[in-house]
Amino acid sequence: MSIEARNITKQFGQFAALHSVSLEIPSGELVALLGPSGSGKTTLLRIIAGLEFADSGTVRFDGEDITTVQARDRKVGFVFQHYALFRHMTVFDNIAFGLRVQPRKWRRSKEQIHDKVHELLKLIQLKNLAGRYPSQLSGGQRQRVALARALAVEPSVLLLDEPFGSLDAKVRLELRRWLRQLHDEVHITSVFVTHDQEEALEVADRIAVMNEGKIEQVGSPDEVYHHPASPFVYNFLGNVNLFHGRLDEERLSIDEKAASGNLVYVRPHLLDIHRQATNGSHFRATIKHIHSAGPLVKIEALAEWGAPVHVELSQERFRDLQLAKNEAVFIIPREMKVFRNGKGTFDGENTIH
Amino acid sequence: MGGTIALNPGNISATRKVTRRATTESLAVRWTLIGATVMFLGIFLFLPLAVVFAQAFEKGLATYWASLREPDALAAIRLTLLAAGIAVPLNLVFGIAAAWAIGKFEFVGKSLLITLIDLPFSVSPVVSGLIYVLLFGLQGLMGPWLARHNLQIIFAVPGIVLATIFVTFPFVAHELIPVLQAQGQEEEEAALVLGASGWQTFFRVSLPNCKWGLLYGVILCNARAMGEFGAVSVVSGHIRGLTNTMPLHVEILYNQYDFAAAFAVASLLALLALVTLLVKTAVEWRARRQAAQLALWSAQEEAKA
Amino acid sequence: MGITLKKPSILPGFGLALGYTILYLSLLVLIPLAAAFLKASSLSWHQFWHVVASPRALASYRLTFGASLLGALVNLVFGTLVAWVLVRYSFPGKRLFDSVVDLPFALPTAVAGIALTTIYSPNGWLGGPLAAIGIKAAYSRLGVAIALTFIGLPFVVRSVQPVLGDMEKDLEEAAASLGASRRQTFMRVILPTILPAALTGFAMAFARAVGEYGSVVFIAGNMPMRTEITPLLIMTKLDQFDYAGATAIAVTMLVVSFVLLLPINLLHRWSARREARANALTVNSSPNTLAEGEPA
Repeated sequence: MSIEARNITKQFGQFAALHSVSLEIPSGELVALLGPSGSGKTTLLRIIAGLEFADSGTVRFDGEDITTVQARDRKVGFVFQHYALFRHMTVFDNIAFGLRVQPRKWRRSKEQIHDKVHELLKLIQLKNLAGRYPSQLSGGQRQRVALARALAVEPSVLLLDEPFGSLDAKVRLELRRWLRQLHDEVHITSVFVTHDQEEALEVADRIAVMNEGKIEQVGSPDEVYHHPASPFVYNFLGNVNLFHGRLDEERLSIDEKAASGNLVYVRPHLLDIHRQATNGSHFRATIKHIHSAGPLVKIEALAEWGAPVHVELSQERFRDLQLAKNEAVFIIPREMKVFRNGKGTFDGENTIH
Repeated sequence: MGGTIALNPGNISATRKVTRRATTESLAVRWTLIGATVMFLGIFLFLPLAVVFAQAFEKGLATYWASLREPDALAAIRLTLLAAGIAVPLNLVFGIAAAWAIGKFEFVGKSLLITLIDLPFSVSPVVSGLIYVLLFGLQGLMGPWLARHNLQIIFAVPGIVLATIFVTFPFVAHELIPVLQAQGQEEEEAALVLGASGWQTFFRVSLPNCKWGLLYGVILCNARAMGEFGAVSVVSGHIRGLTNTMPLHVEILYNQYDFAAAFAVASLLALLALVTLLVKTAVEWRARRQAAQLALWSAQEEAKA
Repeated sequence: MGITLKKPSILPGFGLALGYTILYLSLLVLIPLAAAFLKASSLSWHQFWHVVASPRALASYRLTFGASLLGALVNLVFGTLVAWVLVRYSFPGKRLFDSVVDLPFALPTAVAGIALTTIYSPNGWLGGPLAAIGIKAAYSRLGVAIALTFIGLPFVVRSVQPVLGDMEKDLEEAAASLGASRRQTFMRVILPTILPAALTGFAMAFARAVGEYGSVVFIAGNMPMRTEITPLLIMTKLDQFDYAGATAIAVTMLVVSFVLLLPINLLHRWSARREARANALTVNSSPNTLAEGEPA
């Protein structure tokens, strides 16, 4: 089932949550709506589900206009951020709910419902917990039950609202991979909302980056990470250092005094530290903090113009350099991104080595 | 933090030896306060309760039963049960409807609605009864119309039922509104997305979630319905065997100095009050236990992580 | 954009629920209330005033409001005490005492009335000893005050209990560590926190007591000008078929009820807002907000 949202606009009182947003999701894809709080991603998801209604615009499933169709008639599966499990029902009853409330003519028999629920319990690996109540489950278990409940009615579309937001880091990672695997098996059109760029990059087929009620870019994880369409996208997907620069012919130099207003973005792992200046763009800095974090060494330095710069070096490189606090070094960007007229609008990007 | 503060040995004996925590009072103060509380509650609450049963059984068990089996008493009991039997279900439905509208939706005029619903809580019962006399009494607004059609509301059973409904209608709503409000609407949304109709959502998801508040509201509503005195007294006409509820019957017996019988009937009402308190305590205990279980599970999960 | 009358929601049943609610309220409350005011307006202003300000009526107001105030004040002090003891201390039978606090809510007023009268009458369990030292409890104004104290007892206790229960021990520990004695801690830290709730309970007890009939009418004595409460005055006028007079006084009482309701509601919302603000303060001050780069 493909999803098409066209020109969706939604206002809550004075607050404009969505500004004429359009998005196409081909059948079978797993798409992430990525953005900060207030970007409108949850609102868009809920409009697709029928839990909110847009002020204007259309939503189509497989070409059919379902903009005014009630949520219960859309056959979507929705997984809530805080699970919304029915607290007074057992795990079994929760999963069986959708099957039990179907109109009589379509409703399965008790045995069929029983089998289906157990099939799903096996899928989410919670066979022994069928008789437990939600209050007796861990967060990760609850989320899996919520997922099973949504899948029980065999929806054509699966929508997830920050499904792993309230879970511990380890559980989050496990469930992330599990969702990806599930999708690879079942191939149901899925849309999930997240503010965690790592999650989006790892799980999704395609990412729609949203900001302040608009879609900034839609593309594969690779596309949005390596070829961001705007400063916002670049900034949001991964850590970044921000400088002002000057563009002379092919040569970009970082120059904080540059009046032309070119914004230069460099990811911390794309900055290198040398003890001598080189021919390319470089600037002086003083090492302020060295913090070893697993496979990387995170360094905070103070650039010559007084702003902090974050650099990430591999452990090897750090060992080679033998850096110490308060040492004066040169920082050389290996890859930079420039957005001309870096005031939010952009004309294109330049990658300069 | 280097070094330690040197103690001045000379002062140690001067400080009081305190063996209690900084946030409790001395034993003496504590027990004085407890004693005062026990006395206050004993005098104002336990004593009246005790005197009801003491006086009821003063003339022995035989007199007790005889008082209850007396035809006027039985008629009063039947009328009380009738009034409550009509008032409670009607107010239950109203309470659910009002709590649904107020607890789950935002709309203009909500505060006004809540104030209107709370009205019987702040109006004197006598005034509540008076209002119906002014509407349905002989000299009332609809009096002539009722007389023409041979209908009697005031000084008859319908008036009593009406007055009972009026004074007890807020109870269920009052208990349910905060419960429904606190629950939010996520579970209902989940049910709707899963394909449930409005009624299915209501009966399978919303109602079971508020069953304790509902029970508590019904119990309070019933206690008030059976025990209402002032409002019913105004509309009743005090016709023995016909328009007397149990509280009114108690009044009649007491005013003719038939104390044993009065307290015998009163003891039934007191028993009802005790059952009400029992159910209330049970509901609260249940709610507290569920909350504690939840906390225990969360703590266990934290420990596992 | 016009005014939104209702926030949109996908939950069903709003129309049905609200419609039924308003219908029920109209039939039960609004129409009868309108009838009352209509009837009251049939009196000329002069007649209205004559009834409402008659010496007998004035005497009844003095008694009703005076005794209600006294009862509510007693409950303010003792109710707070009871709440404190129930929340902070344990003693054998505490749960029993805690449950019994709601008795005035659950016990029919007529039963309370005759029970209290029996206790405080000259040969009653307490009335006897009191008579011996020259105090007349039943059939006097004191009796009225006692009954109104009974009726308002749960209000202050149940208002203060949750606030006390939710109070963080940290505040008291901080005061103690700063050198405050227990009494000082109570007066300067604890009391201000529970005062709004206590006042709310006081106002509710007072409002309830003013309208009370059943529990008072037996113990009062009901002598006009001396021990006649306002609700009884209304009742008497009704018995004499003086509907207009009864309505006049009833309307006066209704107006007073509304006037009482307003500050109660405001008090309630004010103390709720204070609670919310206090809770927000404790929640937002988490220690995990060290800025990056600061020495840990």
